[in-house]
Amino acid sequence: SSLAGIMLLEVFLVLGTVIIYFLLSRKREETLPFREGWWGKGQKPDAEEDTTIRPFKVETTEEELNDLFRRLDQARFTEPLENSCFHYGTNSVYLRKVVSYWRKQFSWKKQVEVLNKYPQFKTKIQGIDIHFVHVKPPHLPEGQSAKPLLMVHGWPGSFYEFYKIIPLLTDPASHGLGDEHIFEVICPSIPGYGFSEAPHKTGFNSVSAASVFYELMLRLGFNEFYAQGGDWGWLICTNLAQIAPNHVKGLHLNLASVTNMGFRHLLSILLGRYLPGLFGFQDEDVRQMFPFLKKVVYRTLLESGYAHIQATKPDTVGCGLNDSPVGLAAYILEKFSTWTDVEFHNLEDGGLERKFNLDDLLTNIMIYWVSGSIVSSMRFYKENLQNGIGTQKHERLTVQVPTGIASFPNEVIHTPQAWAQKKYTNIVSFHFMPRGGHFAALEEPELLAQDILQFVGKVEKEQLWRKK
Amino acid sequence: ETILSRIRSFEYSQKNAVLVPVTALGVGGVLVYWLRCRHKIKTIEMGDGWWGSGERPLKGQEDESIRPFKIETSDKEIEDLHRRLEQARFAPPLEGAAFHYGFNSNYLQKVVAYWRNQFNWRKQVEVLNKYPHFLTTIEGIDIHFIHVKPSYVPHGRAVQPLLMVHGWPGSFYEFYKIIPLLTEPAGHGLNEGDVVFEVICPSIPGYGFSEAPHQKGFDTIATARIFHKLMNRLGFKKYYLQGGDWGSRITTDMAQMLPQSVKGLHLNLIFVSRQGLKRMISVMLGAYVPWLVGLTREDAQRMYPFIQKNIYELLRESGYLHIQATKPDTAGCGLNDSPVGLAAYILEKFSTWTDKSFLHRDDGGLESKYSLDELLTNVMIYWVTSSIVSSMRYYKENISKDPGLTANARIGVHVPTGIAAFPQEIVHTPHAWAKEIFRNIITYSYMPRGGHFAAFEEPKLLAQDIMEFVRKVEKL
Repeated sequence: SSLAGIMLLEVFLVLGTVIIYFLLSRKREETLPFREGWWGKGQKPDAEEDTTIRPFKVETTEEELNDLFRRLDQARFTEPLENSCFHYGTNSVYLRKVVSYWRKQFSWKKQVEVLNKYPQFKTKIQGIDIHFVHVKPPHLPEGQSAKPLLMVHGWPGSFYEFYKIIPLLTDPASHGLGDEHIFEVICPSIPGYGFSEAPHKTGFNSVSAASVFYELMLRLGFNEFYAQGGDWGWLICTNLAQIAPNHVKGLHLNLASVTNMGFRHLLSILLGRYLPGLFGFQDEDVRQMFPFLKKVVYRTLLESGYAHIQATKPDTVGCGLNDSPVGLAAYILEKFSTWTDVEFHNLEDGGLERKFNLDDLLTNIMIYWVSGSIVSSMRFYKENLQNGIGTQKHERLTVQVPTGIASFPNEVIHTPQAWAQKKYTNIVSFHFMPRGGHFAALEEPELLAQDILQFVGKVEKEQLWRKK
Repeated sequence: ETILSRIRSFEYSQKNAVLVPVTALGVGGVLVYWLRCRHKIKTIEMGDGWWGSGERPLKGQEDESIRPFKIETSDKEIEDLHRRLEQARFAPPLEGAAFHYGFNSNYLQKVVAYWRNQFNWRKQVEVLNKYPHFLTTIEGIDIHFIHVKPSYVPHGRAVQPLLMVHGWPGSFYEFYKIIPLLTEPAGHGLNEGDVVFEVICPSIPGYGFSEAPHQKGFDTIATARIFHKLMNRLGFKKYYLQGGDWGSRITTDMAQMLPQSVKGLHLNLIFVSRQGLKRMISVMLGAYVPWLVGLTREDAQRMYPFIQKNIYELLRESGYLHIQATKPDTAGCGLNDSPVGLAAYILEKFSTWTDKSFLHRDDGGLESKYSLDELLTNVMIYWVTSSIVSSMRYYKENISKDPGLTANARIGVHVPTGIAAFPQEIVHTPHAWAKEIFRNIITYSYMPRGGHFAAFEEPKLLAQDIMEFVRKVEKL
């Protein structure tokens, strides 16, 4: 009977451990609370906030142009080391060519007109002016309504990154894509980026941005909408889906990072190369992630210097970039090179013009320059990362909203579906894209648009019989 | 008996006769070699290098002349600077941020106003030129240095040659206040016995007026070798070394490269490995029983709470190191084009590395320890020489090879060493840990106050410690 007693005790112990394990490991399905805030200058006034939506146009002046030209003319360059290509950062020999084009051929006036071809607006939310582009479909077939789609950019990008993909989504039929789903697209600028006012108070992080954009969509009259994002847009849209799961019909991401790593992840890193099936890794996952040390650890260390300094001393590093357009260009262009294809750092020109044209690259840079927003854009890193990665509450919460992930081969971080689905518990589509890097919307708009469309197609089919 | 067997027997006996002495010689030789090896101090390879542009010339001797040099400026240079200061664009800081987000731009505007309206670069150039400057070509690049001899040496006193090496974001100018204390101690209230120095302060290649290397791979070993060649060219066979920041790395390399030339090594910052199981245990125990692991109370106070001070704070302060060790050309580009950006970047270090509590102050506490004139003069050296990018490349060249930046532990440092541990230095290394690499520590001093830029901030304290160290070494 003592033996039976011991056995019973053992059973209880095992059961107890299993239960405790499950309790601890099960991610709670609570929602992320909406974050109230007031980010304006000084004290919050007692009066009601102005909630009007005002049309906005990008403008420029002769003075602004002359100031830019003067700075470009007086630029001081440092000769690169012999045979260094882009290994030490942006190669100044190539940079000189870019600056020469910028000074002599690039027409900011013309680009301003390009920017203004889509309707832009500003509205005050939580004390700051939020800038956004709002494009409605040019024509809608009988009986069909446009689906609202919020697209959020990242760093060092801007709303301008979406200018090529917008027509594919608002008017897919004219671009050879099926017109079963037509969107009206809203591209806001993250507060502190471009024409959105920068927060004046500390603490404005991704949850704050998600809350602000949630208010924006409600103010525009949208009760249900889709959200799409990469880079910071990935995090903001994820937070949005966590704050308002009943309003976000679907979440589409071209970057899906998982920051809450645990023992399971460690094990899969150690053994995943040899037993991929056991950890849910596909061939593409193994190809991109292993050898892990070289492809992930070293590469991350090599490429994350900017994140480290921006997460700790944004005002210092941004200061010179806000004063020297050439410095700003060097800093931003380096990302458009390496994050599009890591092999580009072996090229003397950083491979920039293989996938982008100088007009687009410089227009994006000019948005940072004319709005003087490089410093505030960098502060976003500190507000989100200063306590370390994996430390914030929202990183432990899951996402139940239907999610579609487009995994581009040259993306900076590769997240296997096996890892993503621990956080995004309702992945409706996960596709390996044939080509493309970090700036997917600008570099491969058709591929991204197609993936968004097929994702929305799946969600719409499911939504019809899975209404909550 | 055949001839063969006779030969065989002859060979056999001969073999015996030959074998024994040969074996004895062999064993004896190995013994002697082993004994010698044990006592012979290992050194790091000196190697060789060429840092000029293009191919190394095959023919001809390198020009070894030492040419006097004077820093110059022009109206054009000053007007260009003023124009850039006037057109500076500032981004307002967040409310209540002080220096927590980096250099506060409200205070920066005050600095820039002073720079534009009151700072006198021509006057500062005269200040810089008060010590004799020289240029000499070594391994294909021009090396700049100042060489200050005592103006008066009492009869019978020996003058000790002392090479002092700066770091980043400093320059030879950091030593301007300490030099007179070392060349003329008596005239400055110091009377440390028999010690008087002649001081040589070079600029690291790629910094200030030293030409920047044109080839990849220029690391502290190459610098150490070049500085040895410099001292040799100046006629010195044995000399003292002093350094902090990169200067500490370089002088330590010099001591490991040619110990016979180094009379003594004085450092105000040392890097030792913080890895390893033994180290981890020592750290954990040290919080409760410091004496058990060789830590003093002062050590404990400076090092704990360990995670806070050695991990969080280091991570918070090492963003610049990370980006400079990976993308120096990108990081430096804007700073070479915007003097205001350059000043913010450099002066942030002079704030936080002097006193960590300065982060909480709206003005970063800069003017409580330094004058704007001296801070801006250091910044101007980077500006007028356009050397910020090449100065940052030094991080990539060194850290990619050796992320820990620790001295070669296998070889160790055997020359007499003196360590001055300043309380506000970025990282504190206790004597117990330093001993593992520096096998011949003569002095280890806990300085009462001061931070990273010791020579600049507390010249008298540092000078006193150097003198005490050298006195002790001379007595050995």
